[in-house]
Amino acid sequence: MSEETSLDFETEALSYMDQLYAAALRLTRNSADAEDLVQETYAKAFKAQDKFTMGTNLKAWLYRIQTNAFINTYRKKQREPKRTDADTVEDWQLAAAAEHQSSGLASAEQEALDSLGDTEVRRALSELSDDFRMAVYLSDVEGFAYKEIAEIMDTPVGTVMSRLHRGRRMLREKLREYAAERGIYERSGGDADHG
Amino acid sequence: MAKRQCEEALAKLFEYIDGELPDTELLRIGEHLKDCPPCEAEHQINEKIRMLVSQAHGDKAPHQLRERVLSTIQAARAELQAEG
Repeated sequence: MSEETSLDFETEALSYMDQLYAAALRLTRNSADAEDLVQETYAKAFKAQDKFTMGTNLKAWLYRIQTNAFINTYRKKQREPKRTDADTVEDWQLAAAAEHQSSGLASAEQEALDSLGDTEVRRALSELSDDFRMAVYLSDVEGFAYKEIAEIMDTPVGTVMSRLHRGRRMLREKLREYAAERGIYERSGGDADHG
Repeated sequence: MAKRQCEEALAKLFEYIDGELPDTELLRIGEHLKDCPPCEAEHQINEKIRMLVSQAHGDKAPHQLRERVLSTIQAARAELQAEG
């Protein structure tokens, strides 16, 4: 391994620790497990660094190791049955098409969103199932492209899109609920059609 | 009833927001959003949620974790050097 082609592991990989930790917190939902997961991720990444191709996305590579470690360590016993992509795509496309609302409801919802804080947003995300939470997090917080998320989660791009659609719809529904609980937002009146 | 363009825009709204659409579709949907207030409202709501999610998650790794990871790596490196 020559100097130019090898990874300066301490400098480069460790620069992503805050991001990996924040993601690990979302995955595990508690700080002790999140720390263990990040620790495990770096130990695995260090051992596998020869397999990293220089010039490719180091952050995505680390996320993939962390996601695998999470699945293997924390999720072994609760694997979800696989769905076919065709079903889920059709499903969310139908759902999306049905989602026009009156302008009054839309602006009420926008106001409600403005009034919600980080606590509610974190809580809403934490209530999503692992796959949905991960997809939404990787896209919204880390800004990974669908193709990168597919590689990190080891799943087809169609599945990533389906998880994002479903995850975001559920997230939105939860945010509406929290706003309604606080009396900020009420879904009353109006029809779901063009005004 | 939602129009056909509305159906397309709403079905592809997340791809539009995520920058995952080819240019022609991006332009077509962008044009539709300009002309259709209900679709544009959906667009804005989803953009806002995306922004709220991205802002809510800036946790920093605790100092002791950084030290723990560093010492793990140093130990693994020492082990590698002892072997090689």
